[in-house]
Amino acid sequence: MKTKEDFPEINARRPDGLKPEGTPYRVLIVDDSMFVAKQLNQILSSEGYQVVATAGDGLEGYEKYKELFPNVDVVTMDITMPKMDGLTALQKIMEFDKNAKVIMISALGKQDLVKQALVAGAKNYIVKPLDRKKVLERFLSVVAK
Amino acid sequence: MRVEYINPFVESAFNVLKEVLQGEVKRGELYLKSTSIPVMGVAAIVGLAGDVEGRVLFDMDKPTALRVASVMNGEELKTMDELVKATITELANMITAQAVTKLHELGFKFDLTPPAIFTGENMEVSDQDVEALIVPMETAQGKLEINVAIRERG
Repeated sequence: MKTKEDFPEINARRPDGLKPEGTPYRVLIVDDSMFVAKQLNQILSSEGYQVVATAGDGLEGYEKYKELFPNVDVVTMDITMPKMDGLTALQKIMEFDKNAKVIMISALGKQDLVKQALVAGAKNYIVKPLDRKKVLERFLSVVAK
Repeated sequence: MRVEYINPFVESAFNVLKEVLQGEVKRGELYLKSTSIPVMGVAAIVGLAGDVEGRVLFDMDKPTALRVASVMNGEELKTMDELVKATITELANMITAQAVTKLHELGFKFDLTPPAIFTGENMEVSDQDVEALIVPMETAQGKLEINVAIRERG
């Protein structure tokens, strides 16, 4: 019988979530929906990313970013949230760290806000419903830059 | 109520349910009600205000809500907890967002309220002076109803 050990190299693809030197990319999730936060966490963790914190609104997201900096590599940012919306939180994060990598998470129908976010410095966006492939592709394109 | 208001919700519910449940969705016969309508047990409601006004209700029974939330989370959920409610809310969000995009393209301008979730037994909904159009959707997880009561602002 052939086991995995017979082919040690074939499946040895480095997961997307790991940096070239082998440590995981660290992610901050900012979303007011427990469901969306959990879904993102599952998708990202399965590919080796490390979710270091989750925030339930834009203000908390901005504060957590400052607190974690520089130990955070990517932020996912919902748009419609209580206290501070995602666009404002993005602008605040970009003011604080002009190299921040923020990916917007948007419901359909928010094209104008997504455009504003991209102009304000967001690196990419993902439209809900989220699927694994879409999320990982967008993440890869952001961390690979 | 004009049927053109409900069609975007029906199309969007069909598309979103198919995608998040990864299965077949069958659209039932549309019906019109002008009296009180029973609510099945778990209902997400979104309000609309602008050129058109009213509300959209996504309605299902509790076992269906648990099965839908289980599929969407990829794990078996047995009690109506915060995660199940957040999941059904998100489902309502996704369906509404897609429908509203379509209605905005058709030229209707209005704002939405964030979805609220009601759970309970023997609930009814009544809409003064607005008829409600209801479209049942059959999925492998059970029946959901899209219940739309919208009118043009007079």
